[in-house]
Amino acid sequence: MFAIQPSSAEPIYRQIVEQLRRLIAGGQLASGDLLPSVRDVAGFHAINPMTVSRAYGMAETEGLLERLRGKGMAVAVTTRSTATQAQRMALLEAQLQALARHARELELPGDAVLRRLGKLLDE
Amino acid sequence: MNAVLRSINDKHAAPLAVRGLSHGYEDGQVLSNVDLAMEPGSVLGLIGRNGAGKSTLIRAMLGLLQPHAGECTVFGEAALKLSDRSKARIAYVPQQPDALAWLSARQMLDYVGRFYPTWDAAYARSTLERWLISPNKLLGKLSPGERQRVDLIRALASRPELLVLDEPAAALDPVARRDLLREIALRAGEAGTTVLFSTHIVSDLERVASDIAFLHEGKLLLHCAVDETKERFARLWLPAAMSAAAPAQVFGRHRHEDGSLSLVVERDPNGRWPEAASLPGARIDALGLEDLFVEIAG
Repeated sequence: MFAIQPSSAEPIYRQIVEQLRRLIAGGQLASGDLLPSVRDVAGFHAINPMTVSRAYGMAETEGLLERLRGKGMAVAVTTRSTATQAQRMALLEAQLQALARHARELELPGDAVLRRLGKLLDE
Repeated sequence: MNAVLRSINDKHAAPLAVRGLSHGYEDGQVLSNVDLAMEPGSVLGLIGRNGAGKSTLIRAMLGLLQPHAGECTVFGEAALKLSDRSKARIAYVPQQPDALAWLSARQMLDYVGRFYPTWDAAYARSTLERWLISPNKLLGKLSPGERQRVDLIRALASRPELLVLDEPAAALDPVARRDLLREIALRAGEAGTTVLFSTHIVSDLERVASDIAFLHEGKLLLHCAVDETKERFARLWLPAAMSAAAPAQVFGRHRHEDGSLSLVVERDPNGRWPEAASLPGARIDALGLEDLFVEIAG
């Protein structure tokens, strides 16, 4: 189910977590859906099982997945609205970093960018 | 009592460790002062250009040659005086295996298998078939690639605790290579097998290795977790006007025709890029392992 690019500059565990976030946010994975086992994912892609465990563990900490006793990992029942603010904030981190980078490349003063962002948020 | 103590130490001893290892041949120094230790269950990809000293390092680590200087241990024992008990826990596949040339692949595997209590005969049989080896042809009549494939099967079927492979990928077609990588990954992850393999094919390493060691001109330039390596290094581009502010200690510095500068930079212990990265016009771009390898070794 995951698309893995070993030679990408992005570590494989991050690729998996990123795809989980998108699949869950986009509704392709629904609450309670079971994920393929670590062994299945690692064997299919010929990647280290520890990498898959690390990705699942991170997704669990973020509240995306939960461990079901005897069944493996499933998409958490917690909906986005009940996830903590920190968890929801974490989903924005990559975009925020990209925004900060673009703003720096354009040599824009931070307060101007923040003012505009504030306006957009209030809409 | 000593035996008891030793077996307790064993559990915590690094499967492979070298300290201050140096070696050379008539035509010069091959290894200079290498320090390297492996964690149990880790998969270390040893990468370097041809002639970087990878095979010599592997042979010294296993006690197959006596280095000019340094200390090599296997499961905590001196590599040059390895006990039979420790030897039975290791499987090593050299680049050009040449032992037992007068036996057929099947005879060799049957014969060798008798020495291992952990021998997996079913695995040996099915892999011979999958990897397209004629079981009845004499080993001496096989091509070097086929010969190494048989030796890889021998190593894997013994279910070792420590698996050491010198350039295993060179002998394999893409299907068999993926097969081998899957086997390495699952054994490390599930059976806790420690794996050391050398390669110059970076994408193989990226799939299964937990750690990476860059060997360049006999020196160990970097030994780090694969994920961390990808997150720790990046390419910094500085426009011409800012290029004077480039940090000093860096790899892979290239001056472009317009006077701008590219270089490889590293995060500090707090995860920050060098100050030059926040100069106006400066850009930080993620760097794959292959690019990093080329920058370091090029």
